[in-house]
Amino acid sequence: MRFSDLISLIVANLSRRKGRVLLTAIGVMIGTAAVVTLVSLGAGLQKAATESLWGISDLSSIMVYPTYGGEMGGMVMIGGSQQEQQDAVLLTPSKISEIEALPGVERVIIQDYLSVGTEIKLDKLSSWGNIQGVSVSDLKEMNLAASQGTTELGMGKIIVGAYVNRNFYDPNQRYDEGPIDPPDLMGKILNVTLIKWNEEGGETRRTYRMEVAGVLQETRGEADYSMYMTLDEITRWNEWGRGQRINREKEGYNQVIVKAESPQIVLDVADQITGLGLQAYTPQSMVQGINSFFTTMQVIFGGIGAISLLVAAIGIANTMTMSILERTREIGIMKAIGATNNNILAIFLGEASGIGFVGGVGGSILGWGASKLINIFSASYLASQASAQGYMGNTMLATVTPFWLPIFAIVFATIVGLISGLYPSLNAATLVPVSALKYE
Amino acid sequence: MENGFIQTDDLKKYYRMNTVGVKALDGITIDIPRGAFAVIMGPSGSGKSTLLNLIGGLDWPTSGSIFVDGEEIEALDETELAAYRRNKVGFVFQSFNLISSMSAEENVGFPLRFAGVQAAQRKQRAREKLEEVGLADRMTHKPTELSGGEQQRVAIARALINNPVLILADEPTGNLDTTSGLSVMHTLADLQKSGKTIVVATHDPRMLSFATQTIYLLDGKQVSEETYHQTIEQLSWEGTN
Ligand SMILES: Nc1ncnc2c1ncn2[C@@H]1O[C@H](COP(=O)(O)OP(=O)(O)OP(=O)(O)O)[C@@H](O)[C@H]1O
Ligand SMILES: [Mg+2]
Repeated sequence: MRFSDLISLIVANLSRRKGRVLLTAIGVMIGTAAVVTLVSLGAGLQKAATESLWGISDLSSIMVYPTYGGEMGGMVMIGGSQQEQQDAVLLTPSKISEIEALPGVERVIIQDYLSVGTEIKLDKLSSWGNIQGVSVSDLKEMNLAASQGTTELGMGKIIVGAYVNRNFYDPNQRYDEGPIDPPDLMGKILNVTLIKWNEEGGETRRTYRMEVAGVLQETRGEADYSMYMTLDEITRWNEWGRGQRINREKEGYNQVIVKAESPQIVLDVADQITGLGLQAYTPQSMVQGINSFFTTMQVIFGGIGAISLLVAAIGIANTMTMSILERTREIGIMKAIGATNNNILAIFLGEASGIGFVGGVGGSILGWGASKLINIFSASYLASQASAQGYMGNTMLATVTPFWLPIFAIVFATIVGLISGLYPSLNAATLVPVSALKYE
Repeated sequence: MENGFIQTDDLKKYYRMNTVGVKALDGITIDIPRGAFAVIMGPSGSGKSTLLNLIGGLDWPTSGSIFVDGEEIEALDETELAAYRRNKVGFVFQSFNLISSMSAEENVGFPLRFAGVQAAQRKQRAREKLEEVGLADRMTHKPTELSGGEQQRVAIARALINNPVLILADEPTGNLDTTSGLSVMHTLADLQKSGKTIVVATHDPRMLSFATQTIYLLDGKQVSEETYHQTIEQLSWEGTN
């Protein structure tokens, strides 16, 4: 039997019983629509959640911190700190070379914060700030981008995060005047005053004029409120504050950022760093946790849909059994005129799959429409919320229908049809022709 | 006429109904030559249909063998049997067995689907066959729009579509009035003249005038013409008393 003939016969047979086929297909349609809508909803929730982690979207970096023995571990100290001192693993230059030597590590960026009392002034405005020294000449290497100016660091230059200007205030302002407008920092000179005290309480100040060479784009992370300078300059400031040179072999650095060669191996590299006794944090492990949560949710959602598909499958099996019973004589005729068992099997499996396919197509359209409808409602709901509260929320609940989902749903529904039709079709195919012909 | 076109040897078909065994066929040995018009006569329940179905490969015997055109039918597997039915046999049934949703033309062309013939050719050949049986003006009629005699001729056209060597007809006139029945008999006789082998199961005595060979069955056994008539007379005499 030709394939095209098989298809035309199946289509003809199905359209002979339009009403029943459609009623059965509605079951499949509802099941498929449920699967498509719920999975879209799950995918949408997942996207919303991962997007709120946008600030740490740099998936190939690992934050590495020293282990300070018992202090950081939160252990109860018994009999002094001897034991804990031995456990401490510091980020010394030799340790950093060990990290650099690990397979999969692309580079290690040292990050150190300013540990001297500081005052920052812009004309009459004051501020405080988190000043970081980094061992790169260009912040691009840390996946930071400038919205104004440059990301290139240099002596006497400072690059500020997107929201650093929000920390400026007018010290002479009266309480009832309300907050000032955040100043535009680009190209301005910040007076950074370092303050240290001697044993007698005497104060020494030293002021540096730092030019704002760039303002970073929003990251929704720590960088938004940080100011960046070269590591050398920060080290010099810190040494001035302390009044002595810092021996990094003894003290180590506060923090390094390890760049893995690719996001795929980040967790691996992090494990190796942990193996060196250090603390390693990857944004990926967090994203992974969220992802696995949402994958579970999607599986549960999909499962609920699948249950309705199972009910639909029973419907198909029932319809096929009925239809085969009614057409027993027809099966006998087909056999008498030379149809093989495989021909009969193909015809009835095709009909069952056809019902699944029709339901799958209908259900995909229905589910897709329902997902769009959810989006429209959630958008108008959020808009009304936003106007009521005077701000625009930046995460929005929306369903996401991946392009493969309707295709998958149609294929799946067709397979459900096929499987439901298997038992009745096998029965039909193996009927003894003479008994089929005698059937009334 | 060459012997041994259809040969059965000690053919048996038993049915077990609960504890009682039914011997539908009990040791039938027949030989029908190629080109014959063989008539199987027998009262109801004598095993005519059973014999025809076994020859046509629609059922399996309990024991014994069947040869048709050199093929041992009862030894074929399902797929080979389907090919045998498709290529060598045309069936005509008492109740026509047309597919009600299909037009005359589609019904006649239906076997060609399983033979892998493409649509345009199916249509053409079906039309030719319908013309041969005198239904040129009924091509697109559905079975319900045809008389019994017309339906049976559609069925005959369908049986002929694959150009089989053997036509098996089970009471082809059973559901027809006298005139249509006679016309169907003539059609079958014409087919025999064109070289096909015809085997008809019937209790219509008019069929005997076309027969080249008659097989008499009583209770699953083959009997001679004399025994048959004696028994039938005795049965009807007993029946009227
Ligand atoms: N599937 C079956 N199960 C049990 N017994 C059967 C079956 N098919 C046929 N028989 C029995 O086999 C015997 C022969 O039946 P068959 O149909 O061959 O008779 P027939 O000669 O064609 O009769 P009729 O002229 O009424 O068509 C009958 O006694 C019938 O009851
Ligand atoms: Mg019969």
